[in-house]
Amino acid sequence: MEELSRPNSGSVAVPGGYDEQEAQKGMYMTFKSGNEYYGIKIQYVNEIVGFQDITPVPETESYIMGLINLRGKIIPVIDVQKRFGQEPSEYNDRTCIIVVDVKATTVGLIVEKIAEAVEIKDDNILPPPTISRVDRIQNKYVYGIAKVGDSVKLLLDPERLLGDEEQQMTEQTNELMVEN
Amino acid sequence: MADEFNTDGMLDMYLFENEQLLEQLQEMVLEQKDAECFDEDSINEIFRTMHTIKGSSGIMMFDNITAIAHKLEDVFYFLRESHPDNVPHLELVEHVLEVEDFISGEMAKIKDGQSSDGDPSEIVADLDQFLDKIKNGGESTAKDIPENVHEEAKQFYIAPVANADSRFYKITVHFFQETEMSNVHAYKVVYALKEIAEDILYSPEDILTDESSAETIIEKGFRILLQAQASEEEVREIIGIGYDIEKVDVIECKAEEFLKGFNFGEEEAGIDLNASVEEIEAKAEHALEAKKENKIAPGDFVVKPKEQTKPKKVAKEKPKAEKATFISVNVSKMDMLMDLIGELVISESVVMQNPDLKIPGLDLTNFNKAATQMAKISTDLQNVIMSMRMVPLTNTFQKMNRIVFDVSRKLGKDIEFEMVGENTEVDKNIIEHISDPLMHIVRNALDHGIESNEERKAAGKREKGKVTLAAKNEAGKVWISVTDNGKGLDREKILKKARQQGILEEGKPDSAYSDKEVYQFITLPGFSTNEQVTEYSGRGVGMDVVVQNLQAIGGMLEIESTPGEGSTMNLKIPLTLAIIDGIVIETGNSSFVVETGLVKEFVSVREDMMIHEPNGDEFVMLRGECFPVLRLGDWYELENYCQNVEDGMMVVLELDGKTICMLVDKLVGKQEIVVKPIPSYIKKIRGLSGCTQLGDGSIALILDPSGFIE
Repeated sequence: MEELSRPNSGSVAVPGGYDEQEAQKGMYMTFKSGNEYYGIKIQYVNEIVGFQDITPVPETESYIMGLINLRGKIIPVIDVQKRFGQEPSEYNDRTCIIVVDVKATTVGLIVEKIAEAVEIKDDNILPPPTISRVDRIQNKYVYGIAKVGDSVKLLLDPERLLGDEEQQMTEQTNELMVEN
Repeated sequence: MADEFNTDGMLDMYLFENEQLLEQLQEMVLEQKDAECFDEDSINEIFRTMHTIKGSSGIMMFDNITAIAHKLEDVFYFLRESHPDNVPHLELVEHVLEVEDFISGEMAKIKDGQSSDGDPSEIVADLDQFLDKIKNGGESTAKDIPENVHEEAKQFYIAPVANADSRFYKITVHFFQETEMSNVHAYKVVYALKEIAEDILYSPEDILTDESSAETIIEKGFRILLQAQASEEEVREIIGIGYDIEKVDVIECKAEEFLKGFNFGEEEAGIDLNASVEEIEAKAEHALEAKKENKIAPGDFVVKPKEQTKPKKVAKEKPKAEKATFISVNVSKMDMLMDLIGELVISESVVMQNPDLKIPGLDLTNFNKAATQMAKISTDLQNVIMSMRMVPLTNTFQKMNRIVFDVSRKLGKDIEFEMVGENTEVDKNIIEHISDPLMHIVRNALDHGIESNEERKAAGKREKGKVTLAAKNEAGKVWISVTDNGKGLDREKILKKARQQGILEEGKPDSAYSDKEVYQFITLPGFSTNEQVTEYSGRGVGMDVVVQNLQAIGGMLEIESTPGEGSTMNLKIPLTLAIIDGIVIETGNSSFVVETGLVKEFVSVREDMMIHEPNGDEFVMLRGECFPVLRLGDWYELENYCQNVEDGMMVVLELDGKTICMLVDKLVGKQEIVVKPIPSYIKKIRGLSGCTQLGDGSIALILDPSGFIE
């Protein structure tokens, strides 16, 4: 069951990982958060689940909404809008959780709405403008701006989206250890 | 691709097998290290082990391992064949361990994907030297004290009771043609003769193992060579009992004839000699040559030559543990199975507590029956998987044995090592975590704890130091203690050092610190009272790491010490990390679980039992005692929790001798829970140790009250 829902795990039809990776190259999962559309490389995306009850965890950063139970696996979820320092919108039945695997960490991203999976050619990706209208914090996570038809998608680097925290986390645990 | 994969598989197998062999080897060697020499079995075993390692390493083309294994094999070949005396046993033990270390080291390199590049030539040279020594040593003894050697030789070659009264018989037993399993009957005869025999030889030889020998016996008769102090009649009487024997020929002969083996068969019955008989004959003649001056020399025919050759004291015999069959399973698969079973248990409770079942008027008789059956199976399943993960501490303890041996030799201290309860079983994960801390503690005990031989003498102590490593199961925890009979901890020295480092509170007198508190100081980072840094300890990084490692798995370290008499380090370790018995509580909109073992009681309190201090601290009076109150809702700043103590519930928690009352909204129930770590993405939160899934699939956080106590 689980295997089927994973676009990036070895699927039955494709023998060997090479073709599959080739097929996924240039594919992006796009979603809406706030007023912008974002894209994330499909390789990172493990699955997409509907919004479900989140168990809050005390004493964490405000954008870490808590934990969800993903078929027995407990994973943290973060609110993308809060991560960008924006006001989160109300959760409704269109709210989704994109489960991403970044390095060895599995994290759920709460997004307002899933848009579509699109192919974006490398030619259509521009580096983010140095002086940007978007918020500076947000800019940290955006590595490129893609043109898809008339619309513009901000391409997110999930490693940066989560990575900062890891560093903070280790710093904090180190502090804790010193205290102990 | 395919080839690569194959080699990988072979390499894994090679490493796995050799690791096991080396482990057994080490265990065996250490077990006999205090004996005067290895017993016959061990020599054979070490020889075989080295032979196997040599072979497999040769195939894998690890030439250095092959070379060293070959050399040690040579040494043990010599020991096995020549039974030299006066082998310096400890030196031999060291050599074996050295070789074992070398091979282990190389294998570790191979495991890490490096190439095995260690140079064995030094050890090989050492071994050569050693081999020369024991070879020459044997000769020189022969020259120096020939008397002794002569006696030894006599013991080896001649049955000890052989004397002029011994008589020699050639016996042929003919069984009836229709006798079934004549080989067994033949054995009966041999068995009966052994009572009186000083030496016995029979043909066919392998009567018990080779069923086809029955035919030979029926056809040609069963032939026995016997040396005994008995008359022909007595021999006949012994053989003659039974319905199966047709005819017995007993012919007395001379010793020389006896030595020649089964030649008589030719003359008497005209039976062709088969190969095995020739072999025996050759052996007999060889023995005769070897002992020309001695007429009575039925060499290898001695009934139990093994025991005669070993008049030395050998290590105490240990009953061989019953061999169980094992297969090795990838740990990740086990973990997966464990997870799945955890899931199964949870989904089971989701089904059982399904709201659909609560519709009034449903007839659930059959459902409940089936459900009970299923609950039984899933409980069994859970127990089995838990037991699969349980591993005895034996290996870990053996490692310590090795360390004691090494360190005590290097430090020149005479130290005895005792292991108690090494069969205690612990979860595999935990074993991995305690090995290093334990090693450190043992080293400390050896290096700091036990005094030098001279010091011990001066203090009027038994000269031999002793380190005891003990494990036991108690109250759902494993206790491992390391006890030494050394000098104990020096309270004053620790206090002085603590003051230097500014750990002590200003103005607090030394006497205000209990012994226990003082001893705990040595677990602080950078704290070492040993002025000298030795190879093994004293750098001050150690005890703090030990404690950290233990805390990581929910363990604790307690230190007891009596000056002049020694100290004990007690490690308290949870049996398993995976499943705990927990009490589910609710506060605000969140569920929490607290380990049942920590909960002393639940109390409903009235407002008038509360004491409010002006600074906001709260206390509650319970049966005349005053305990601090912690509002869980406040602690984690939860929303919508009961502010009024009379609506909530006090959970009295006891931990490390301290008691706190935790105010929660309500109790939900008691439940076995599968502990899962909080995803590492979330930083460590004080007071939380993990999370779990509840019966309804929701997530509860596991409280770790030690985080509440500062």
